[in-house]
Amino acid sequence: MILTPEEYARIRAQAVAEYPGECCGVVMERPGATPERLLLPCRNIQDELHAKDPQRHPRDARTAYYIDPKDLIAMGRREAQGFRVLTIYHSHIDAGAYFSDTDKHNALVNGEPAYPEATYVVLSVLERRVAETTAFRWDAAHRDFLPVDWQKPEG
Amino acid sequence: MSIDVYIPTPFRRATNNKDRVSVEARDVRGLLDELEGRFSALKGLVRNEAGEIHHHVNLYVNSEAIESLQGLQTSLKDGDEVSIIPALAGGGPALAGGGLGLVGG
Repeated sequence: MILTPEEYARIRAQAVAEYPGECCGVVMERPGATPERLLLPCRNIQDELHAKDPQRHPRDARTAYYIDPKDLIAMGRREAQGFRVLTIYHSHIDAGAYFSDTDKHNALVNGEPAYPEATYVVLSVLERRVAETTAFRWDAAHRDFLPVDWQKPEG
Repeated sequence: MSIDVYIPTPFRRATNNKDRVSVEARDVRGLLDELEGRFSALKGLVRNEAGEIHHHVNLYVNSEAIESLQGLQTSLKDGDEVSIIPALAGGGPALAGGGLGLVGG
């Protein structure tokens, strides 16, 4: 399951609360007879990067996200406990729920997917309202991130 | 002197899927030299050809960014934990004027 109804509701609330900035976060799962899931809303530090070095980071949080490395360290600790990254999500502000060239560029390491098993979820937030949500996953045959048929949970 | 290095998911292809590696090193530069010597596929992932750490990669010693320490010269001691953290980033529509604002390296 990409997102449970509760996770989806919490993520939509986060996306609205952080408007007009992009929100971001991950869902991790520890496999087992009863898989354990963990929603980790993350801090988008894009505004801080932009303020510090606008040439290197021309975008601010209205059009980009950059997960606080401290949150990534926390993810690493969870990995050490057996969790794996299941879903990576972020929002687009007053734009569609597509996987942008920037999203794709940053989801690859030397042309290979950084998180090949993860699903990327993009929420379109229009005027403080979640208008659309789309999920994407790496398709090895097409060497691209393609939309996933996804039954969105009620929530 | 043993340093515990956390290898993040995106780089594990280069370390035979190892998520943790023990390295003997006196400083961060030496640690990266040792790592790249053992796992040649790591070359270019963490540092550029000039030996500088890519902008989209952050290194932490015991949860403290090396920029706030002594960078590549940061000394290491037995039991230290080094985390290699590549950026997780992206964004929506391109800026007017063509600036994509990619996480550069």
